[in-house]
Amino acid sequence: MDLRTLTEAFGPSGQENEVRKLILDAAAKLCGDVSVDRSGNVICRKKGGDPGKPSVTFAAHMDEIGFIVTGHTDDGLLRFQPVGGVDPRVAVSKWVLVGPERVKGVIGAMAIHLQTKADRERVLDYDALYIDIGAREQKEAEKLCPLGSYAVFDTPYTEFGDGFVAARALDDRVGCLSLLRILESDYAGELCCAFVTQEEVGLRGSTGAAFHLQSDIVIVLEGTAANDLGDTPERFQVCVPGRGVAISFMDLASIADTQLFSALQDVAMEHNIPYQIKRAVTGGNDAGSFQRSGKGARTCVLSVPCRYIHSGNNVAKLSDIKAQADLAVAFLNSL
Amino acid sequence: MQADDFLRDVTAMRGLSGDEGEVSAFVADAFRPYCDEVTIDAMNNVIARKKGTGPKVMFCAHLDEIGLMVVSIEEDGSLRLGQVGGVDPRILPGQRVFVHGREKLMGVIGAKAPHLLSEEERKRNYTREDLYVDLGLPGDRVRELVRVGDQVQLDHRYTELQNGRVAVKTCDDRACVAIMLQAARLLQGLRHEADLYFVASAQEEVGSRGAMTSAFALKPDFAVALDVCHASTPGAPAWRTHKLDSLVASMGPYIHPALREKLTETAQENNISLQTAVVPRYTSTDADQIGESRSGVPTALLELPLKYMHTTVEMLDLNVLKEGGRLLAHFAAAVRASWEDELWT
Repeated sequence: MDLRTLTEAFGPSGQENEVRKLILDAAAKLCGDVSVDRSGNVICRKKGGDPGKPSVTFAAHMDEIGFIVTGHTDDGLLRFQPVGGVDPRVAVSKWVLVGPERVKGVIGAMAIHLQTKADRERVLDYDALYIDIGAREQKEAEKLCPLGSYAVFDTPYTEFGDGFVAARALDDRVGCLSLLRILESDYAGELCCAFVTQEEVGLRGSTGAAFHLQSDIVIVLEGTAANDLGDTPERFQVCVPGRGVAISFMDLASIADTQLFSALQDVAMEHNIPYQIKRAVTGGNDAGSFQRSGKGARTCVLSVPCRYIHSGNNVAKLSDIKAQADLAVAFLNSL
Repeated sequence: MQADDFLRDVTAMRGLSGDEGEVSAFVADAFRPYCDEVTIDAMNNVIARKKGTGPKVMFCAHLDEIGLMVVSIEEDGSLRLGQVGGVDPRILPGQRVFVHGREKLMGVIGAKAPHLLSEEERKRNYTREDLYVDLGLPGDRVRELVRVGDQVQLDHRYTELQNGRVAVKTCDDRACVAIMLQAARLLQGLRHEADLYFVASAQEEVGSRGAMTSAFALKPDFAVALDVCHASTPGAPAWRTHKLDSLVASMGPYIHPALREKLTETAQENNISLQTAVVPRYTSTDADQIGESRSGVPTALLELPLKYMHTTVEMLDLNVLKEGGRLLAHFAAAVRASWEDELWT
């Protein structure tokens, strides 16, 4: 499985089918016990034989931010709302794909020539934005893109610069890619790789998975906001692409287990795996649900720094994605 | 070359105002098979002549494009931006661009980080000053490859939508260059008296500077400028917008009424649908400069409706583009020396 295929798959929260199919096919080659649970999560188990070892789950989410069609205008435009947190300011003048059939559309905006001064300052919110698929009238638009159709940014996977990639949905297909690498590992204890659904709309898939998995240790593999460029002072940079996998001590959904936080750094140093500490307490992810489900679990988050997360063009450094998987595998081997 | 193939290729060409070399060479090559003489002048205007013995007629559509320019390079290698022509900053965050430095470099436009924005800043649009281009390169490498003044081109993605509608940057105004090319092609099979000049003009977006010099040089008897106008979109003022699915002939003080009449008659005779736009003062197209060239040039304006002008997703109807080619060809074939006597009656 390569990152291009994963990021170009269609999978906004609630419609992860295409990603799930890709992962089921790839995981089946690596693991004998692959199943889909009641929340649509793909659960891959490797039993191991040693009950003395802690049970470990690695988790990443399959879903991505996107849009959903909420109506149609007389002249064939689609009204829409975001699925997950998408700042409407990144939606203007972009390309989208509507539905798994990938009907092409664009999000236009009134031409600059026709704007008043107030228009120029006012943020175009979703009630003022439309997807235009070129339909002539309402019926045609309804037929091609019915109510409830999901849409995603139409962004090709492109490598550029010094080992960077610009793509859609690096949050969190990078984590999915790393999970597939972890699944190649052998571990004496019980190992689970969970590809979960609906992270972007409230950690819903992981809540279901956490309830039935009940592992001792859960490591969440994510893509997280970098916010490092454009003369941002060093102390305000969340993490920096190129400096390795980012280990979180805390975010808005969970506080890392201090022993895990420390052990992960030790393993990274021992194996010369580039890492950094995520400096800002921002965002939240599936570690929150895994930590507090059932009897609870010790959790920590390993993230790939992503610029412009939750836009149509996420930017990450390929070496950081490798570092994420390297550290996860090295940690597993250290237990 | 078919109109849609030409449009796909020409909209990808580099050609910000003042830097039209690449697109000019491409357009000149496209006209060559259908014209007797094709030249590129000092301003990068492409002038393609189809010889005739009658009145000298100038058709003009501009080939330059709006875009951005590097105005400074930050320590971390991110690029700060100025603009060439009117670029709406609202279209920029999360957009891909191409920086024409020592190499063509892809970049992504980033914005001031959300956690650094004040409450007030969150409620308004990003300005160009809040934005930067990320090339995915270390600062030192950026400074080797990029200089202040380098041009930054917006993403070009030719997107085919429903009903023969297409979205891509720079339909303004290369779609009208495509109309002229269609006309030149169709004129291979039509008789024309007029001495025809197809001008793909430079620097329109900064004030019709190419049209100014080419009109002076050619001394046309009549002219038709071709440009895009606004198609209806939600919230846009109705009187300034038109339906997407047919051509527009403007009227008003900057348009010669008799010449416009010739255009509408030609449309009627050939069953070509034409809307009317009323422009009470200047048209903000090459028509204005051509009309005031030397002692004056009677000029009409033919427009192609476009949704989302000056964005990366400018949308048109390909059928209208083809109809434009047909109208211009028949108009060119209809020109007679006797028109001169009808202009001021």
